[in-house]
Amino acid sequence: MNRRRFIRAAGLTTAGAFAAPYILPSGRLFASSGQPLAGHVVYVLFAGGVRQQESVLQRYLDDSQGLPWEGNIMYNMLNGDAPQNKIVYGTDQGGGAEGGTPIPRILNQTLQTQGLLFKEVSSQSNGHYGGLNNLLQGSTVTTQGLKQKPVNPTIFEYLRRHGGYKATDAWFVGNGIGNSIPLLNYSNHPDYGSKYGANFFAPSVTFGNLGFEHLSNAKVYHPENELDPMYQMKYFLDQSFSSVGQGGDSLGNTEEEKQRIKQFMRDTYERVTQGLIAFPPVTDNSDSLNIGFACEVMREFQPAITVVNLSDVDGCHSDFTGYLRALHRADHAVGHLWNYIQTQIPGMANDTVIIASPECGRNLQHNPIKDVNDWYAYDHSDFNSSRVFTLMAGPSVPSNLVLGSENNSIGFTSDNVPTIAEILGVKDEVMNAGFLQSGARSLFERI
Amino acid sequence: MPISDFKPRSLSLVLLISILQFGLSSCKKEIEPDQYELNQVVLYPSISAKNKLKSQEQFVSILYTNLFQQALSGNKLVEIIDCLESIGDKELGREVLISNFMNDPAVQLPSDSTMRANPEAFVAETYERFFVREPSQAELTWFSNFINAHPQLSAEMIYFSFALSNEYLYY
Repeated sequence: MNRRRFIRAAGLTTAGAFAAPYILPSGRLFASSGQPLAGHVVYVLFAGGVRQQESVLQRYLDDSQGLPWEGNIMYNMLNGDAPQNKIVYGTDQGGGAEGGTPIPRILNQTLQTQGLLFKEVSSQSNGHYGGLNNLLQGSTVTTQGLKQKPVNPTIFEYLRRHGGYKATDAWFVGNGIGNSIPLLNYSNHPDYGSKYGANFFAPSVTFGNLGFEHLSNAKVYHPENELDPMYQMKYFLDQSFSSVGQGGDSLGNTEEEKQRIKQFMRDTYERVTQGLIAFPPVTDNSDSLNIGFACEVMREFQPAITVVNLSDVDGCHSDFTGYLRALHRADHAVGHLWNYIQTQIPGMANDTVIIASPECGRNLQHNPIKDVNDWYAYDHSDFNSSRVFTLMAGPSVPSNLVLGSENNSIGFTSDNVPTIAEILGVKDEVMNAGFLQSGARSLFERI
Repeated sequence: MPISDFKPRSLSLVLLISILQFGLSSCKKEIEPDQYELNQVVLYPSISAKNKLKSQEQFVSILYTNLFQQALSGNKLVEIIDCLESIGDKELGREVLISNFMNDPAVQLPSDSTMRANPEAFVAETYERFFVREPSQAELTWFSNFINAHPQLSAEMIYFSFALSNEYLYY
């Protein structure tokens, strides 16, 4: 062997020795770089355009309708006393005025006390679609149109590709199939895509009337005697077809995972029929309903990442009273979600971080529409719509800490993706992938 | 002109002209046109030409027609599409939908005895029904052997696998 060939062979051998340990059985190319801070993340997309004035600033009617009544209507999430006058956001259960009975508090200790509140955060979009994409991608791509899958990888894909999580470790529970909600469980990015996507249900449809009519009567095939040969035949057919270069759009659920999901669907139809779904104590809107099914998903799969989308507060475009009620219920639903995890899911209790951020705020100035209380409604398009908050709690999250203020904005909504990546141990891979918004970083680095 | 002036030469000329006129106008040769015939052949698309993904609407409509031998109403189609949209794993969603269809008493399936009486004919018919093509010899052989090797296999199970296959998503 001459000197040149020896050097080349030695170089290749050395490179192989470095590369081989990183080709892992799970299919990911590299071992994740970080140590997870917790086993699970529950990420609440909260809740359809929330004004700072009625949420963290707790001004109730004072900063919207010119009525001098302040107070906190989100007392599971935030510290602060509830309003004392003109109560409209509750239920009718106590009699008296419509909505005049506030929903009882669920959490003994608010999430703010248990965790960390970034009181003033910049949302990088004034709209739902851009806002949701930003919360899930960590960036907003201006060329990305409605009814289009995300262009850049989502947090689900980062976690599954770089963290080696299986498909049922990643769930997105959407509150409907409108707009682009069902498209947000994975991107079109060629290096990521469906095989790293999240499982998704829109429970109002999947387990609603339509689901009952068209999906609940599925024939149950015997796993070995029937399903096994059926899949053998399917795989034979797919193999023939793959020879001409075409394939399906699989999320990469294994056969076992598929069986588990199908069984979960059957069980859930049964639990709906029997009234056993883990709904919040007050479930009278679609957000509360969605949280109940999210609890069911978490109880069954104990995912590494569960994203829950809430959006009822968006009724604020035409109904400010309805907005206050939806905001109060969104807080109630989040309180229930956190309480359910801590008390009913032992595998997730004390090992879960919750993060909640609105995808956008709402305008400073009202529109001309008045509701039944003669109160003005609010859209979302001006600078006030880019003002939001981020609340997080759980292991490794400092407790009882508030950062930022009305005049001191800290961080961006795009920070949530690297934050989740850090909690679940893949921050470096996400940061180095190069698709995050410029300046985005883990919120732990902003403390 | 008196008849006596009519000369035989003139008569001959008239006769000649008449004969020529008759002959030129009536003596056409009958030409039999060449006729070519084609055997009746059903043309199927090639598997390699299937590169267009069916829309959800196309998939559900065709699936319903294949399994029920009738068209799906517009309202039901919209409802079913919504259901599929509500499930993230589309393949799993299709599987659940097909399982629901198979549980519908109106589903039109060949009997298992028909399938076993002539597996090759059954396989060919199934390929034509679902894939709109004839099976290759290898495919025909594989499926015939599979049917013969699995006594518990039903026509429903074979229909299920075809309906769930990737090729069925394309046209």
